[in-house]
Amino acid sequence: MIPLLDRPLVQFGLAVAVVLILPVTMRSGTLASEILIFGLAVAACNLLLGYTGLLSFGQGIFFGLGSYVAGLGLVRAGLPAPVVLLLALGGGALVAAAVGWVSIRRQGVYFVMLTLAFSQMFYFLAYTFSGLTGGDNGLLDIPRPRLGGTVLSGPWTYYAFVAVLFLALFAALQRVALSTFGRTLLAIRDNEARAGAIGYPVRAFKVAAFAISGAVTAFAGALHAMLIGVAPLSNIDYHTSETLLIMTIIGGTANLFASLLGAGAYLLAADALSAIWPRWLLLLGLLLIVITLFLQRGLWGLIERAVALVTRAPPPDDPAPDRPVAAAAREGDR
Amino acid sequence: MRDRRAFLKTSLTAGAFAASGLTLPGLLRGARAAEGPLVIGAPLPISGAFAANGKYASLGAAFAAQEAGSVLGRKVSIADIDTEGKPAPAARKVQEAMGQGTRLFAGGILSSEALVMGKEVTKGDGVFITTAGADEITGSDCNRGTFRWTVPTFGAIAQTVRPLIAQMPQAKRWYTITPQYVFGEGLLTAAKAVFQEKGVEHVGNSYHSLAEKEFSGYLTNAIAAKPDVLLLLNFGSQSSDALRQAVSFGLKKRMTIVLAWASGLEQFEALGADLCEGVYFGAQYWHGIDSPLNKALVAKVRETAKMTPNYSFAGSYQITRLLLDAAAKAGAADGPAVIKALEGLRYSGLTGEEEIRAADHQVIKDYYLLKGKAKSAMKDKDDFADVIQSGKSFLSPEAAGCKMA
Repeated sequence: MIPLLDRPLVQFGLAVAVVLILPVTMRSGTLASEILIFGLAVAACNLLLGYTGLLSFGQGIFFGLGSYVAGLGLVRAGLPAPVVLLLALGGGALVAAAVGWVSIRRQGVYFVMLTLAFSQMFYFLAYTFSGLTGGDNGLLDIPRPRLGGTVLSGPWTYYAFVAVLFLALFAALQRVALSTFGRTLLAIRDNEARAGAIGYPVRAFKVAAFAISGAVTAFAGALHAMLIGVAPLSNIDYHTSETLLIMTIIGGTANLFASLLGAGAYLLAADALSAIWPRWLLLLGLLLIVITLFLQRGLWGLIERAVALVTRAPPPDDPAPDRPVAAAAREGDR
Repeated sequence: MRDRRAFLKTSLTAGAFAASGLTLPGLLRGARAAEGPLVIGAPLPISGAFAANGKYASLGAAFAAQEAGSVLGRKVSIADIDTEGKPAPAARKVQEAMGQGTRLFAGGILSSEALVMGKEVTKGDGVFITTAGADEITGSDCNRGTFRWTVPTFGAIAQTVRPLIAQMPQAKRWYTITPQYVFGEGLLTAAKAVFQEKGVEHVGNSYHSLAEKEFSGYLTNAIAAKPDVLLLLNFGSQSSDALRQAVSFGLKKRMTIVLAWASGLEQFEALGADLCEGVYFGAQYWHGIDSPLNKALVAKVRETAKMTPNYSFAGSYQITRLLLDAAAKAGAADGPAVIKALEGLRYSGLTGEEEIRAADHQVIKDYYLLKGKAKSAMKDKDDFADVIQSGKSFLSPEAAGCKMA
């Protein structure tokens, strides 16, 4: 039986609750929008890391690509925002499929190194073709989208726009995770050799997971560029991949709502701590060490434990310490 | 670090109160009923790779605010905004600050963050003044709400390469090392134009990436080209690394080394006098500048905080002070009024007489050529260099590509 907190409707309900709570509890609509946007990108990263067991440093490529598609589409080509968002979705899927197709030919550390190499390659492509991307200065003057002739310039009006899209894509990712396709990804993650022996085309499944993840990440990148008015070079840097991975691990690789939790916790902590202490990243490092050592199910695992305490249900087990984080996601075990 | 920063801020605050000789002209102290504090946003890289610059810039802004006390009857306060040295958080946090009512911003050390913040502030009818380096800020991306204090690449080259060519007519072969992005290209283009005009041979150039730390390969290429002068066109830690490696390769004995865009005192402190001796540095600011405002600032900061203002401190101090002066002159602290007051403003600044050009919002000020002196010749611990030359060189707004909207 699926535990209460892991039920799809409960997960979606929690996402809706967060979307509704943020405007009530936060002063900054911009930060609230950023939480949802990164929540999407982290959920997409989770599909690879938590559901497929692929630790990819390539997510920044797709996030940056989405930002550039938004910039080029809106500023240079004058396309409407919905078309630009669809282009980001399609472009992200295509590039991710290509990156995935090459990278999955190797496993373990070699797979990770390949995604890192792609990440560096795309960064330098963006850096070199500065006429197209704006280089180090970024692609400036990206406008906010229009809705019914009104520009969504206010922070909370843009938040509402992002919130609707976030919930739609969150639901779509949930559908993917719960489908036969998603269950097969879990089987591949848990025992790739067995999944292959049963007859599943493992590589095709991995490439498809990459494509879906890349599409959603690029979509988030496009929304981010519209939020801040620029497609900065840093969006395609491998540091973005690293940040997305850190958010994923902080939230927990157990389910998709944990991704929103990870993105929110990271961004809120960064916002608060950076104003207090210039070396706040040290604290982040400490947090990561603690999570890796003692809370391998991330913040979501902590919530599960708290709920188990209240309901007197048996607490979820943390995975064995020597298991990699990717293999630590346990939803499929249930 | 936090303790030191807190100590410096406290000391500077106390010092600024006592700085009656530095009172800003035209400030209408207590003339109006209090309307709440006048908040100046200081978007600076307080954390991240450029945190050291951000720290001093934050102190400079705080000093200017404390010195002013109140403007238009409102107590001046500085709201530090940590940009993390990245354009995305910078844009987001400036949006947030504008959402909370802040309209005047002084900061932005890095070009990429300054460009995007200028656009954001302008969209919200605010004013942003920066010390960032990219030519585009008052060139192709100039806009109504953005002002820039620093001299662009054209002036930096004109005030370093030109006087050195005149001073060393026998040095006919120059080699350049350039970071391959917009800022580096700007410096290189300007340098090539001067070489061509003066009949100097440009014997080679090495491009490096923004992430480069190892310059030995480029320096080997430079040695092979047998130049008389090595011109470093990178900045910050990259120029320090390149200079360190050049000196350890023995290049200082073989050729003249020029660093066209130095970071000022903080860079000298990091490099040390032995390494800097005999090397030429281009600089936006130097604490030894002979101007009334600079002398007063240096004396007061030394007295109160036991430190000498460096470029990050002084630049931030100057631009914060400019915003406050303009608000006082305009009689209002809203964006359009302050913009109007800043355009065409002539004032006695840290580098002497300065003027804000209305057509592109570029401050017309001096750029300095320094020469590192021997440790034995230093009069105090900060006396790393002599000012060899200073002057104003600027492209016209049209030539810089500014089409003000």
